Amino acid sequence: MTQIAVNHKNLSAETIGKNWITLFLVILVIVFSLIAPAFFSIDTLQLILFNGTEVFLLGAAELFVIITGGIDLSVGFVMGFSTIMSSKLIVIFQGFGLPPFMSILSGSLIMLVIGLLPGLVNGWLVAYLRVPAFIATFSMLGITHGISELMTQGVPTKNLPSLAGIIGNGSFLYISPDRKIHFFTRPQVARGQVVVSILPNMVVFAFIFILIFSFLLSKTKFGRHLYAIGGNIDAAIRSGINVKKDLLKAYMISSFFASLAGISYVMKYITGKPDAGADLLLDSIAAVVIGGASMAGGSGTMGRTILGALVIAVVQTGLRIIGMQTFMTYILVGSILIIAVILDQVFPNLNR
Amino acid sequence: MMQKEHTASGRTGLTFFETPFGQFSARNWAMFFLIIMVIIFSLTGSGFFDITNFQNIIHLSTGTFLLAAAETLVVITGGIDLSIGYVYGLSSVLGAKVMQVLSSSNLSLAWVVVIGSAVALCVAILPGLGNGILVTRFNVPPFIATMGMWGICNGVTLFFSDGFMPVMGAPSIINDIGNSYFLYIDPSHNIRFFSKPPSIRISEIRMLIRLIPNSFFLSLLVFIVINFLLSRTKFGRHTYAIGGNKDAALRSGINVNKHLIMIYTISSFISGLAGLFNLFQTGIGNYTPSGANYELMAVAAVVIGGASLTGGKGRLFGTVIGVLVLAVLENGLQIAGISAFYRYIGVGILLIIAVIIDRAFPDFF
Repeated sequence: MTQIAVNHKNLSAETIGKNWITLFLVILVIVFSLIAPAFFSIDTLQLILFNGTEVFLLGAAELFVIITGGIDLSVGFVMGFSTIMSSKLIVIFQGFGLPPFMSILSGSLIMLVIGLLPGLVNGWLVAYLRVPAFIATFSMLGITHGISELMTQGVPTKNLPSLAGIIGNGSFLYISPDRKIHFFTRPQVARGQVVVSILPNMVVFAFIFILIFSFLLSKTKFGRHLYAIGGNIDAAIRSGINVKKDLLKAYMISSFFASLAGISYVMKYITGKPDAGADLLLDSIAAVVIGGASMAGGSGTMGRTILGALVIAVVQTGLRIIGMQTFMTYILVGSILIIAVILDQVFPNLNR
Repeated sequence: MMQKEHTASGRTGLTFFETPFGQFSARNWAMFFLIIMVIIFSLTGSGFFDITNFQNIIHLSTGTFLLAAAETLVVITGGIDLSIGYVYGLSSVLGAKVMQVLSSSNLSLAWVVVIGSAVALCVAILPGLGNGILVTRFNVPPFIATMGMWGICNGVTLFFSDGFMPVMGAPSIINDIGNSYFLYIDPSHNIRFFSKPPSIRISEIRMLIRLIPNSFFLSLLVFIVINFLLSRTKFGRHTYAIGGNKDAALRSGINVNKHLIMIYTISSFISGLAGLFNLFQTGIGNYTPSGANYELMAVAAVVIGGASLTGGKGRLFGTVIGVLVLAVLENGLQIAGISAFYRYIGVGILLIIAVIIDRAFPDFF
């Protein structure tokens, strides 16, 4: 009897421990809603998702590397590099006389290919030359930062087509007051009437890639190999996994997501600057760790990482809505990060 | 010589890196690199090879050196401290804030400066204490614990600096202390210590010779104290032992937890000292801007200096060389008229070289 009771008690404690981040998110939303009733609305939710796009993408980037037991410090500045490179490319294509949409599309696509390069170098250094991930990716941070500063010479990029802003700040669908649904274009209405906009484009854009790569991580052999490498690299080598190639791919995916974040930034703010992602390093690692991944590797899922990133996004946007200053954001994110790891120690079997 | 060649496991001849000179130059590659860099910059940039410029390099790299010295201690134990860059900003801003508030009271100037500095240094201990407790008692990995502390320190700094605003209003005397030199020789060969000759004319100021910045003494003091701790005391031996093999250190009776807490606290204290120096140097409480990566630069200096991130290895002298490499690179590029942004790329490449050399010669130091 007592045995069962104890088990039962452990079970409930474990359920709470397992889902503490969801619980925390709910409490956070309740607190914010009590302080500012306007917080609890569809618009705010969309604003949170919109503001958090880069955190989602960089969290996904960091996840692939952290699962293998590594770390990618370069994501923030690869993102900065991507903002500059893609906006320069778009401007160049526009100069060739391409229509705005085509120049944005081709600029972004070429950027995504270029964006694989930092990851290629990182992965090569880590997997083939056995440079510790911390050093290899920090070097890449320096190199991408240097190149971006040299490309801009201190002036943020400009002259982007206005279509970029329309795409970046637009929504997937709009509902006009007469209940008609419009895709992508905001309907013209009389002043004072409200158009409901649903699903910001950039959020859709981010989540398409996140879903694809989530599938890759959870359902394919490649995904399983990444967990195996992070869990025990020697065992992975002995069981015939091509560890070097898989590590290379993980770092390339990481920098691919970082360049996606850069493109998303360009679309949203119609400019590119070297330090666009400078203070997102803490956020991206925090998202993964709050999502329950271990820095030692071998654990972490995309769903929980997105949940972790959502917590950060809610804190950032929520604090702004209730009128707190930015400093509280840093304190809260830092504290949640530490608490997440402590809870991970208390409930070690959470994410298996 | 012949005999040596044949005994080397059947191979004939030694490769360059197996000769004593090769070993020496690979071990001290950073120093050689530094010397080569100084020679190149002296040839290319006018005004680089100059006593004033060298003093500038030392003066301006004081903050980096203190941060790197703090990082050296933590890296030797096999940990990493990412919070130092923001402890630096916290101490600078807090010191300035206290001095700003106190200078409107009727305390004497000396007390204002002393109390401000003392408060900044005392508060700078706290993040390190927190890091140490998290790392030892709660088993939080150092990377995460110090990264969380980075966020918290950044937040507290921004609270005191009212968002992204440098804190003004500290007494201007601190600027004089931070930027003055040990001795001045004026054109008529009179010598003064610590302060500019008061009667000097503006036209003569170019002929004034300034020797040994005060900041050099601060660096020297920190270097001597930490180097003594690391190489001559039980404290230092325990530090290396913990970094080399934590379990063995535990079994041989070292109080690892207490030691690690002390290491993180000292690291934080020295970063606070660096921040305070920054306040004395600029006269303004500077918050750490996002993307400044002071902590990563410190790690870079430590690794270029030959320490290994896996712990148990590293010398403070190596760190000094690492800091000088970074400082000379920046200064030389600036003076040669090359965009200083190349230094970010340079640091990246140097780090990779450092680690590859570290792999190739694992038994150094």
